[in-house]
Amino acid sequence: MKKKLIAILLGMTAIAGYSPPTQAETYTGVPRTFLFNPSLDVCFKDTAQYKKTGPYVIGFSNAGLGDSWRVVMQHSIMKAAAEHKDQVKQLIITDAGHDDAKQVADIQDLISREVDLLIVSANTEQALDPAVTRAMERGIPVVMVDRRVSSNNFVTFVTASDAMMGRLFAQWIVEKLNGKGNVVILGGQAGSSPNELRVKAGMQVFNQYPGIKILDTVYSDWSPVRGKQVMQTVISKYGHDINAVFSTHGLQTPGSIEAFLEAGFKQGEIPPHTTSDVNGPMQMALKYKVPMLEVGYPPAMGGTAIEVALKVLAGAQVPCTYEINAQIATTEGDETASIHPDMHIKDMVLPDAPADMLVTGGMGPDYNPSTYKVDYPH
Amino acid sequence: MQAVLQNTSRYLSGGRSGHLIVIGLLVVMFIVGAVLSDRFATSNNLLNVYEQSAGLAFVSLGQTLTILTGGIDLSVGSIISLVAMLTSGLINGNPAMVLPVVLFVLVLGTLIGVMNGAAVVVTGVHPLIVTLGTGAIVQGVALLYGLGPTGKVPLNFDTFAYGRIAGKISIGATIAIALFLLVWFILRYTRSGRYVYAVGDDPHAARLMALPHKRVLIGVYAASGFFAALTAVYLVSRFGVGQPYTGANYTLASITPVVVGGTMLAGGRGGVIGTLLGVYLVSLLNNVLNFMDVSSHFQLVVQGLVIILAVSVYVEKRRVA
Repeated sequence: MKKKLIAILLGMTAIAGYSPPTQAETYTGVPRTFLFNPSLDVCFKDTAQYKKTGPYVIGFSNAGLGDSWRVVMQHSIMKAAAEHKDQVKQLIITDAGHDDAKQVADIQDLISREVDLLIVSANTEQALDPAVTRAMERGIPVVMVDRRVSSNNFVTFVTASDAMMGRLFAQWIVEKLNGKGNVVILGGQAGSSPNELRVKAGMQVFNQYPGIKILDTVYSDWSPVRGKQVMQTVISKYGHDINAVFSTHGLQTPGSIEAFLEAGFKQGEIPPHTTSDVNGPMQMALKYKVPMLEVGYPPAMGGTAIEVALKVLAGAQVPCTYEINAQIATTEGDETASIHPDMHIKDMVLPDAPADMLVTGGMGPDYNPSTYKVDYPH
Repeated sequence: MQAVLQNTSRYLSGGRSGHLIVIGLLVVMFIVGAVLSDRFATSNNLLNVYEQSAGLAFVSLGQTLTILTGGIDLSVGSIISLVAMLTSGLINGNPAMVLPVVLFVLVLGTLIGVMNGAAVVVTGVHPLIVTLGTGAIVQGVALLYGLGPTGKVPLNFDTFAYGRIAGKISIGATIAIALFLLVWFILRYTRSGRYVYAVGDDPHAARLMALPHKRVLIGVYAASGFFAALTAVYLVSRFGVGQPYTGANYTLASITPVVVGGTMLAGGRGGVIGTLLGVYLVSLLNNVLNFMDVSSHFQLVVQGLVIILAVSVYVEKRRVA
């Protein structure tokens, strides 16, 4: 009800249906990136031309299930479809196995199956562009989620803000170090858009502080194992000269903390780390007293995509980019002048859940990705 | 359906029962799809399947030729990646560059093939090893040229992949059929074509009979390079850009329709019509599995089973014979 009220009050703007599985108070209002946006010109799309009476057949063309984040995102879509059974007659999911050619064919097959709307998470930005553009030309509305195509030929893009993540990470590190110190950038996959955007946004902040020095930039391919290997090399080179680690996602953060522990760093000696979404790094932060900032890139955006899809089919206006809220958390005592977190990591962590679980999927505390089943219409 | 039945009876009467297994599987899949969904057997869907077959068709046509000589070309995936990068990189959105660049990359693909063939002939090393090596080199060059999507093509460049004759029949897939028929004709009715089978059947005998086996080998690898380059141009048309790993999946994928279509890996037996049926089988299989809501992981399992099933039938037939 509260959600509906806010939506009505704010008229055209949309809200994110995101709630992490904790008792802590969470922020569920309009996206903060929208609230803080200094420009009054915000792009909205009119979707009257897509208005249809339901129930609907929705197709989801997934790039693949290559890492745990993507599995949770797909489950989040299924869950939302199950919750909207009255409006969603059928959700058809295809999985391209991270193959562009297969995803192009998948999209054609979904169109052959006469879907009313397509949700697409594009394997690569450019190669999927012609297929998505063609679907739009045929009058089938496309909602992008997590990974967009290079052109603007879609109705809206559901995502979280990479720019906000990168800037908050960097500003927190600057303030933790009082404007002076050495930072290691621990990236995900070199060249992938989430990684490059977060690093670029972070550097825009770091570059304003001449006392901050980037010692090294290394890549983990979003894997804790690879993250540990590359950080071992960095630690043996710079040791205690490393004052902070700017990690572009929580998938690789545990590897870095492990590398510091194995290099003989004691409890309380490990430098500040940034993280997102994943349970394990938060468990380690509490256990080894690592100062930590969490800014999420919630896989719950999958469920949001279904909600946005239903709005489009109802003919409601939607923002051109739909940035869902990320919860912000720090370890206790590590709040800084500009980072006042929504909650502390101790309230966000699931102490007894698996380390590789994503706590920001909105899937509830009992969620287990390997056994999850939901009766969604298909 | 009518056409399939006619084909079946023709192959039965013509003693070409080798293709029967593929046709049988096509029919089974068609029936499964039609029973599962009333949208499967629509002309709209089947014309899509036809269109989706083109990329794999070109590269498999070349692969059939190398396998007929008892060889194999493991460099096709890398050739596709390099040529795709160069096609969009060199055209770079300029309509005037389309024709010269396409001609250049088709020649380049052919030349890489000539080098493959020459290396096989000169060194005597098995083509599997030679093309594994050249494949690595060509992939490396593709990455040196660019690490990500490179260049762009004019909008109407997508006609090759998405264009439809009379709004129905895919242009790319129809060009593929024409090329299959052309190669089938060459293999069957020209001396060079018969040499391909002779070299694959018994290379020693071919040498003793003073057949130009070196020229034949260089020729088939050149053809394989050419058709890989054609697949690359097709994929740029479909994706709008070339990427350094565009062709990665096509090396192994190009072998599947060849073996499923009844061409023996040992060489000398088989032909391109079986490969074309194999290509349609793969396309239809992916489509039917999508209609069945089967996850892509399981799709791989089914594809693997179909390959083993089809090929084991051929082996069994040979044993009986």
